[in-house]
Amino acid sequence: MSKYITLLKLSWQNGLVYRTSVIMWRFRQFLKTLMSLTVWTVIFASNANAFNYTQDSMITYIFLVSFLQSMIIASALNGLAHRVYSGEISNHLIKPINIYAYFAVEEIADKAKNVGFLLVEVLILFLIFKPTIILPSMFIFLVFLIWSLLGMILNFIISLLFGSFGFWSPDTWGPRFLFFMIINFTAGSLFPLDILPSVIQKVLYLTPFPYLSFVQIQLFLGKFNNQEVFTHSIVLLFWLGLLGSFAS
Amino acid sequence: MINRIKTYFKIWQHFGKNEWQVTFVNRASNLLFMIGKIIRLSMSLLFLMLIRENVEVFAGYTSDEMVVFFLTYQIIDILSQTLYRGVYIFSNLVRSGEFDFLLTKPINPLFRALTGKPDINDFLFLFPNILISFYLLSSLELNITLISSLWYFALVLNALLIATALHIFVLVVGVLSTEVDGVIWIYRDLNYMGRFPVSIYMEPLRFALFFLVPIGMMTTIPTEVLLGIAPTYSISIAFLVGIGSLILSLKTWNWALKKYSSTGS
Repeated sequence: MSKYITLLKLSWQNGLVYRTSVIMWRFRQFLKTLMSLTVWTVIFASNANAFNYTQDSMITYIFLVSFLQSMIIASALNGLAHRVYSGEISNHLIKPINIYAYFAVEEIADKAKNVGFLLVEVLILFLIFKPTIILPSMFIFLVFLIWSLLGMILNFIISLLFGSFGFWSPDTWGPRFLFFMIINFTAGSLFPLDILPSVIQKVLYLTPFPYLSFVQIQLFLGKFNNQEVFTHSIVLLFWLGLLGSFAS
Repeated sequence: MINRIKTYFKIWQHFGKNEWQVTFVNRASNLLFMIGKIIRLSMSLLFLMLIRENVEVFAGYTSDEMVVFFLTYQIIDILSQTLYRGVYIFSNLVRSGEFDFLLTKPINPLFRALTGKPDINDFLFLFPNILISFYLLSSLELNITLISSLWYFALVLNALLIATALHIFVLVVGVLSTEVDGVIWIYRDLNYMGRFPVSIYMEPLRFALFFLVPIGMMTTIPTEVLLGIAPTYSISIAFLVGIGSLILSLKTWNWALKKYSSTGS
């Protein structure tokens, strides 16, 4: 166990070696959230309701997207395909550590780093926009935390599967770019998926991507009844089981 | 002067041909890039259409006018990406020492660093974009005159001057610190904010987007002029910012080159 704690410390330090890059990356996330908040604030300035959202629920949505983007979708495994193709992964395979645990430790360190920055960003945005955030009941909040944790594991598995492209092809950037585009849209990062026509929503729900942040936010906003909470929990576990078995 | 321009155009054509060949070597990867770009454009358009259907007024602009802001951003962004994709790999040239070789060649190193890697994907993507733009423009309720169209065209050229200047500033950062990646992506994100009229953002961000990183001069002013809306800042200020930023960027580049100490080993 101690070797994994040491790895965690090393990964944390590695993540902060290029501090300027990290700060610039976080600044970009901050800009994106700032733009979303501004656009939706402007929309609600002349409309009390839009797309079946009130201003408070939409602002809460954007804050949650920003949070879950950093906690679920941001991943240290983005460069995995290149590490596989370049042979760098061989260095890890010959060490007396479990390769999956190694990746998981890298992921935890990355997310811990994000949390630190995220708290500062959210505080600044709070002071600028002074929003009213909708809070759920304690039970729903607990389910939200569990679903978020499961979302992280799901993204970890999907990233592992995308990383395996490196075993077959040197062109790793193309699939990665496409993956980012798909995730950005299907996880509800650009806008809530429930403002889309119902046909598109139904198609998206056939994929695991809405479970990478959209359903968690809908749960938080109280848009699911008990039956839907149960159904989505089962579907989330199903995707974890199915993709997990592929990954292993 | 004319001969010099012809020579540089020929060289640029060679860059383009080389990149064309590279693009078609990695066909599968580039196809995925293209699909990704189509998804991104489709989603942005879908979002705009949804706003158009559900929201009548956006910060004083009609929903049809909002679509024109987006199309202006899209065209300027793709044109600058097509021309200046080389900036994205500039830090590699500095770190590897390859930039030293460029300095010894009988062409301007700035020209090589800026335009040495035209983006063929974006070039190919430009044509469907123009078609979609014309189709959308024809379906919108707008009051566009010939005079406003001519001013718009001149201001889009001015926007390309500003884009050139901003890319040169990124190269300057690359020469001084090799930290290009973060800076160019921050520029992209700031540029992305230009999909909407920059006047919607709060101060001091609004001022910064008009004068420090003049995205507003690139997208907001041309669109306002095209639509016949009184521009947030006058056209002469937009041209002043365009020409001024280019002169300043060239002077900064020359200064940065004098500070460049080579790889040294």
